[in-house]
Amino acid sequence: MRGAAAIGPGTGTGTAVRVERVSKVFGRGEAAVQALKGVDFEARQGELLMIVGPSGCGKTTLLSVIAGTLEFNDGNVTVFGAGLHGMTRSEVTAFRGRHIGFIFQSFNLVPTLSAVENVSIPLLINGVARREAEARSRAMLEKVGLVGRGGDTPLQLSGGQQQRVAIARALVHEPSLVICDEPTSALDRENGRRVMELMHEVARAPGRCVIVVTHDSRIFRFADRMAEMDDGRVARVHETHETYEAGDH
Amino acid sequence: MYRIALKMLFADRGKYVMLLSGLTFATLLMTQQAGVFAGILEWTKGNLKNMRAPLWVVDPKVEQVNEVKALRDTDVSRVRSVPGVGWAVPMYWGILQARLADGTFKPVQLVGLDNATMVGRPARMVAGRIEDLRLPNAVVIDELAIQRLSRGRPRPIGVGDLFEINDREARIVGVCRTEMSFFGYPYIFATYDQALQFAPRVRKMLSYILVSPAEGVPLATVAARIEKETGLRAYTEEDFGVSTVRWFFRNTGIPTSFGMTILLGFIVGVAVAGQTFYAFILENLRHFGALKAMGAGDGLLTRMVVLQAFAVGLIGYGIGLGVTVLIGSLFLKKGMPPFSMPWFIPVGTLAAILVICAIAAAFGIRRIRQLEPAIVFRG
Ligand SMILES: Nc1ncnc2c1ncn2[C@@H]1O[C@H](COP(=O)(O)OP(=O)(O)O)[C@@H](O)[C@H]1O
Ligand SMILES: [Mg+2]
Repeated sequence: MRGAAAIGPGTGTGTAVRVERVSKVFGRGEAAVQALKGVDFEARQGELLMIVGPSGCGKTTLLSVIAGTLEFNDGNVTVFGAGLHGMTRSEVTAFRGRHIGFIFQSFNLVPTLSAVENVSIPLLINGVARREAEARSRAMLEKVGLVGRGGDTPLQLSGGQQQRVAIARALVHEPSLVICDEPTSALDRENGRRVMELMHEVARAPGRCVIVVTHDSRIFRFADRMAEMDDGRVARVHETHETYEAGDH
Repeated sequence: MYRIALKMLFADRGKYVMLLSGLTFATLLMTQQAGVFAGILEWTKGNLKNMRAPLWVVDPKVEQVNEVKALRDTDVSRVRSVPGVGWAVPMYWGILQARLADGTFKPVQLVGLDNATMVGRPARMVAGRIEDLRLPNAVVIDELAIQRLSRGRPRPIGVGDLFEINDREARIVGVCRTEMSFFGYPYIFATYDQALQFAPRVRKMLSYILVSPAEGVPLATVAARIEKETGLRAYTEEDFGVSTVRWFFRNTGIPTSFGMTILLGFIVGVAVAGQTFYAFILENLRHFGALKAMGAGDGLLTRMVVLQAFAVGLIGYGIGLGVTVLIGSLFLKKGMPPFSMPWFIPVGTLAAILVICAIAAAFGIRRIRQLEPAIVFRG
């Protein structure tokens, strides 16, 4: 557990995620693809950070590495003070379960389970008893605006509602880091906006960081900072999002 | 998470029903066929169950109770003279033709009981008295005989009625209850002397010598002495049963054909359940991947899949066994076809079903363990 006291110089907020010289190669030999080529990058607590860039530049790969769902070849990844590079596989798995919330592009809700059951999964994985897990899940569903829909299965809900169930699932165990891959790509403009407003608010919680991968320019304005990727590297980080506001049409 | 695992499977109606049918069918096929086969084996021991005696002395070449090599009448006294023998009595057993009132013939198994002691007599009389066998031409028939021999009569044959065995008149003095036997023919009991009157005359007529040891002398000791001193074969009731079953295994295709069917049940189970379960796992791979990403370890996912496989296995087994018991009790009520359910059939089938589930689960688990949690971020 190093870097626990890493406070960004002059920002007044702690570092949530630090990525140092991370590289990742898929495959080997002729077919090898270097998806990450020594990425250096930081995300702060209390911010919503977007990772943007052209398709194939390595956004999803970087996100997977940060989330601990993908092993990387070189470099260090430190998430809220814990170095993923020094952990065993099962330690990383346990770490993900405790500290990371996931929001997937295609929601990835289990269609045969009710909304409450879907949301309760992270709690159950962490060993919370079913009754308590379901009570907390129901409360979380209400927070994301799904009052009284806990018993519905995903197929009985609209796309926007499904994504809100997914958000509730990502937040129910109060993770420090919330990871979203293209959270709005399956939603219409209005639902996408609502989801991002919610995410923006989520990022405000103390000791939390939300990282969103997207190429949906309509939601760029919800970012506190943007990391622009190009060809396996983070090329630039913008402190403000004015540059991209024009893209929100 | 285990509740979630079960719900994932049970709520997937199509797969669940398919899995359940496969396992139910496999269970049914295995237990039902094994039950019929066990029933046949029980039937082969019919003579042993219907004519009880501690020791059965037969020709040394006889390996099973449905096969007779006639002994000399003098063999009875030779056996009696062996030390440790309490009593030894002759018994006749043979298949003869009974003539029905309508003129047709039906095969019957004629049993001749020792005139004085009637050793080997039927255990349960339904009508009449066994002692009346000493009356002229008297026979006791079993209930199966009532069904088989009543043809051409205004009412079912019974005590006081006459019919012909091998052209000789037989008078029914009683009705008894017997267990089904291998040939499936009715039993007709008579005294030994009377049986020899019915049976066609040949040089040797003695089928079995039934023996009991004297008080306090162990069965095995007497059996060994009889074999040593007379050169005949002396089986205990149990040994004769075992030898009979073994003979059927060695000399008939019946066990092979049942074995094939039972194996087929197993293979159908593996194929249907294994494939359906694997399809279920594949279909839910995204969700297992998501669970993995959300922090579910391989251990937890393995236990979830094992639970899913074994839960559906046990339910399928339960339904299959239930249906078999239903069918079996119907068979037993009708007396046909043979059926028996010794404890090792349900236990063995359960083991087979668990093996099927383990195979199905193993493939699924392998797939899930290989799963990179990062797939959840891929389109
Ligand atoms: N599992 C994989 N195997 C091989 N190559 C991969 C794999 N995942 C991603 N890549 C490659 O790595 C590069 C970066 O991919 P990705 O991170 O998905 O980009 P983005 O999310 O920015 O579109 C691409 O060239 C892609 O083809
Ligand atoms: Mg991507």
